[in-house]
Amino acid sequence: MLPRSAIRPGFLLVFGRELRWLKRRPLLVVLTTVLPLALMGLLMLVFSQGLATRLHIGVLDLDGSDLSRTIVRTVDATADDAVAVRVADLAEGRQKILSGEVSGLLMIPENLERDVFAGRRPEVVFFYNTQMLTTGNLVLRGVSAAVPSVAAGIRLSLRTAQGQPIEAARSSLSPIPVQTHPLFNPTMNYIYFLLAATLPTVLQIIIVTSSTYSAAMDFETNHRLRILRRLGGGLWPAFLGKIVPYTFVYLAVLGTADAVMFGVLGLPLHGSRGLLLLAGVLFMLSCQMLGTLLALVVHPMSSAIGIGALLTSPAFGFMGIGFPRMGMSMFAYSWGACLPGTWYLTARIDQIVRGTPADLSMKPILILAGFVVGLTGLVALKLESIRSATDRRRLSPPSAPPSAQMVEVAP
Amino acid sequence: MSGIFGVMTTALRNVFTVRPAFTTMILAVIVYAALYPQPYLNEALRNVPIIVVDHDGTASSRDLIRRIDATPDVAVAMTQPDMVSAERAVHAREVSGILVIPQYFERDVLHGRASPIALYADASYFLIYQRVSGAVNGVARTMGAEVEAARLIGAGVDTGLATAASDPMPLTAIALFNPQGGYATYVLPAALILILQQTLLIGVGLIETSTNSPAQKQQEPQAGAIQTLLGKWLAYLIIETPAFVLYLIILPYLCGIPRLGPFIWVLVLAVPFILAVSGLAMAVAAAMRDPLAVQLALAACGLPFFLLAGFAWPNEAIPEGVKMFAIFIPSTSAIDGIVRVSQMGAMLSDVRSQVLTLWGLALLYGAIAVAINARRAAGYRAALARSATVAD
Repeated sequence: MLPRSAIRPGFLLVFGRELRWLKRRPLLVVLTTVLPLALMGLLMLVFSQGLATRLHIGVLDLDGSDLSRTIVRTVDATADDAVAVRVADLAEGRQKILSGEVSGLLMIPENLERDVFAGRRPEVVFFYNTQMLTTGNLVLRGVSAAVPSVAAGIRLSLRTAQGQPIEAARSSLSPIPVQTHPLFNPTMNYIYFLLAATLPTVLQIIIVTSSTYSAAMDFETNHRLRILRRLGGGLWPAFLGKIVPYTFVYLAVLGTADAVMFGVLGLPLHGSRGLLLLAGVLFMLSCQMLGTLLALVVHPMSSAIGIGALLTSPAFGFMGIGFPRMGMSMFAYSWGACLPGTWYLTARIDQIVRGTPADLSMKPILILAGFVVGLTGLVALKLESIRSATDRRRLSPPSAPPSAQMVEVAP
Repeated sequence: MSGIFGVMTTALRNVFTVRPAFTTMILAVIVYAALYPQPYLNEALRNVPIIVVDHDGTASSRDLIRRIDATPDVAVAMTQPDMVSAERAVHAREVSGILVIPQYFERDVLHGRASPIALYADASYFLIYQRVSGAVNGVARTMGAEVEAARLIGAGVDTGLATAASDPMPLTAIALFNPQGGYATYVLPAALILILQQTLLIGVGLIETSTNSPAQKQQEPQAGAIQTLLGKWLAYLIIETPAFVLYLIILPYLCGIPRLGPFIWVLVLAVPFILAVSGLAMAVAAAMRDPLAVQLALAACGLPFFLLAGFAWPNEAIPEGVKMFAIFIPSTSAIDGIVRVSQMGAMLSDVRSQVLTLWGLALLYGAIAVAINARRAAGYRAALARSATVAD
């Protein structure tokens, strides 16, 4: 035991106390650091195949002609689709879709070849499962590339048979071709996007709940708050000493995950490193402040943590990762705007994927800074009001009736 | 038998008296029901803004712009004279695509040459890219087919034959189960099942970790390990029934999501699902013993669990090892099975493997919970016996 005079109250004392506290709780440290990284690793494994290719479809070939076999071969040759089964009738095809064996069924009608060359425009029908939207769209992409390309061959031969020169015939196949350039993502690979977007979602939950917990440990009762104030030699150094160690911990987690993404996976970083880091720090501070505020306003601690989880768990949808925010209703759009994660994600996509010029990337970063300032202000107001209330009570005569908070302080 | 009911009533009481558990299992279930569907209620992206750089400025180019603007998918937000200012607008997220119509667009069309247009679409968000490129390509194709037919007719080909020659073998794509390709119809049935799992998982985990102090253990009804498990299972089945009715019948109805399968068949999957999830929660709680750890660990797992279910990402593209791991999460089989039965109208025979997996998981996690409980009870009795001998 150190003599009392050897203990120097201040930022460092609270900082060290917080670190020792973490050291005694290895499970919590594992959950706040290793868990998000492990989840990231798991998702990297899930998406490790890169693009989803050769998804299974079924074929119902009622024609059995050269043309129908060409169509089936062409569809099977696309990167998206693989012809997994041939079915005898529609009922069997339906059953295969329902059981999940295939995601689509290509139906080639009877007499297709005869009718095509007679100019009767027979239809090739493709049934695809849009309940699983991603898979459904992918299998459709393969078929809608393959069938028109077979049709183009027929159109070409119809023209050349009429005596048109091949160049003229070819250019008349598609009078207005569209040269489509996917901006910011030339390979149309969404894995990096998903990985880059998942981490903020998971971190937001972990930072808000664990900050609520850590803050509630010291802020839950006025008695503990006084001890903290003494240790820190004032409210503000004490407060900083409590917040900063966690900022470092979370930064290490984020840094490790990003190092793996940029270093090991080779994800290109198109924008500025500095802005990405700045946005990350601001995001963490605003989540920490949100957690601290919850701990101050909501009692008991378990309810505060519950509300923190309640706010952050459904954030994935509101942050616009799957369904973009521009398509949302006014309420959902505004709700999303109130989450720090939304703006961090915007800044992250701006810097990692889009390479937005610096002057245009300031908006989300400034909003995050606004979150930090606003939430810190609210926390400060609440802390000051608690302090002045405590001081008033201490000055008031002991005969005054005890308030509810006094009862809470009593052992 | 009375042991089972004793355990059941205690477990039911715990749901309402353990405050964080009540927050998760009752309050959160109600709040999420209102909150969670909100981002998706518009179903589809409409009128995605794009910018047009028209270097041609002719009747044909303006006709093309009008037709693109008239599609439900995109809206022409502005026209710009040059690419530089258009690119800035994309970076600033004011628009999501740039359509460039080159000079001599009309002249080349009339000449009978190919007259290309260029589309630069924002591909950082998948849905936006899909909308923009789909709309522009569709309009260009339609307009191209008209041009081609007009040329053939001009060359003296019969009208019917001209249309046939420009499109001899049309492809008809029929979207099943979600005909409008709506995002809510796609994501909600699966996400709601995941919410049910997460709230039950965290709730039971919190009850189990909050009520395991020796003082509370003494108040618990005396019952064997298997009886305890059955009693708790019964309690959670009762608690979850209204939640499942709300999430699987009322909410989809309110959100206008089509449903093909009878609810009674969904129950065949829902019952083992609830048993498996609460069994898993008991096992996790026994391993972690700390309410905060349970809350942190399980809340963070929600999104990864969803991506593992083979719903958002095609099952064929998930590595085998990961799939083996995902089998042990109840939501994987439950989402697949319940969505197939209720949204797609699958027969129970089509989802036999999912039903069997869920029952297998229920038995596995139930057995683990029983084993841990039995060991704890033995340890507790031993401690009691020791303290009794000390007292003697």
